[in-house]
Amino acid sequence: MHKDLNSFTALMSSSKIFIQQVLALLAKDLKTEWRTREIFTSMFVFAVLVVVVFNFAIGADPQVIRKVVSGVVWVALVFAMILGLQRAIQCESEEDCLHGVLLALHDRSALFVAKVIANVLYMLLVAVCVLFLFSIWFGIDLTSCFFALWIVLVLGILGFSFVGTLFSLIVLHTRTREIMLPLLFLPISVPLIIASVYATASLIEGKSLTDITDYLTLMGVFDVVFLVLGLLVFDFVVEE
Amino acid sequence: MLSRSAFTLWRMIHAVAMYVVVGLALWMIFVYVPSEKGQGLVQRIFYFHVSSTFTMSLAGLVAFVASIIYLWKKAPRWDNIAMSAVEIGTLFCALVLITGSIWARPIWGVWWTWDPPLTLTLVLWLIYVAYLMLRANVQDDTKRARFAAVLAIVGGVDIFLIYLSIRMWRTLHPKPIVIQEGGTTGLPPSMFWTLMVCFVAFLLLFFYLLRERVFLAQSRHDLEIIRQEIDDTLKG
Repeated sequence: MHKDLNSFTALMSSSKIFIQQVLALLAKDLKTEWRTREIFTSMFVFAVLVVVVFNFAIGADPQVIRKVVSGVVWVALVFAMILGLQRAIQCESEEDCLHGVLLALHDRSALFVAKVIANVLYMLLVAVCVLFLFSIWFGIDLTSCFFALWIVLVLGILGFSFVGTLFSLIVLHTRTREIMLPLLFLPISVPLIIASVYATASLIEGKSLTDITDYLTLMGVFDVVFLVLGLLVFDFVVEE
Repeated sequence: MLSRSAFTLWRMIHAVAMYVVVGLALWMIFVYVPSEKGQGLVQRIFYFHVSSTFTMSLAGLVAFVASIIYLWKKAPRWDNIAMSAVEIGTLFCALVLITGSIWARPIWGVWWTWDPPLTLTLVLWLIYVAYLMLRANVQDDTKRARFAAVLAIVGGVDIFLIYLSIRMWRTLHPKPIVIQEGGTTGLPPSMFWTLMVCFVAFLLLFFYLLRERVFLAQSRHDLEIIRQEIDDTLKG
């Protein structure tokens, strides 16, 4: 009994340390971002540019736009995310920051969790801005499916962040990071790309959440699988 | 570990068996088996196509399992096996795509359709290629092995999700052409046996290539160590 209690308190204190370290890392990342505004700005401007370029490519016919809007939004978001992840690891590799951070950590998965949260926050912010611009530029009413759209956005962005964060720390050690990240990231996230694009398209067409349960389940499963997988293999990724 | 002479003997037996069965398979495909009535000569590519699909999946499985063992045991041998399996898998995956296209053109009227099995094979090929490119781009030996193993495991788990998602995606879209459902159970005996011999031939070929490739990787590794030793002696 006494032993059980001891191991329980040990577990509690270690999970407390874990949460503290996650929060500290997150605060560090967000503070840096707040001072430089480098990652968000580049992601946002890039996403807007992708949307504008697509607009020229497909023409301004409202009916065509309605058909491809979800695809364009997600392509813009995913590309912007690749850009953001690249910027984020660039900062970590300068002056060997990552090494120092890893030395200070009790459990290295804290880094994974903190990086994922930071990335999800940036992405959600970019997604909101892009969708807002989209609804204005192309006259698409998103208020009717606002809540459902949030669920799809959060599930999608979470999954992309798990995969993206894991691979961004792998490509940190490659010679050609800029090329390697999308090469690894895009084929692995095929399920998520399909599910998020078609779920969003269904919502814009006026369908309700119950019509897209299949896609939501797939996204949920993907998120859980990659969270677990990410935590399991993360140690091997950052091991020196 | 087998002794050197036993290893060579086993390798010889394997090679001879491989050549004999591959020869038999070729004879059966081009001489023994009759052409299918409806599709004609092009149907014979189906023996290569189906067997390559089998080998390609087997290569993925071998790479997945070897990568898990590598992360667990940290023995370079398992990394060599995973890498060799992916290299061979990439080759057979490309063969599946090419032979499939050659067959589809006269039968379906198109080189390519975004049908679930085709799309899945294409994505698998992209993951195989990403694996090889990742290996080519990491300089440190142990890091390269670790990252590659992580990618193989992630890809192995992901392939099921990819399959599910692609099926979901296709069912919502009309298929461009009607695809005949062909099961192996309906095959006449001569075709069935040709296919079985082809399976065995490709299986032997796969393991032969795997063995040779692993052997090559191992020899390279040994050579590197010897070079290092010579360098050290010369310096010291």
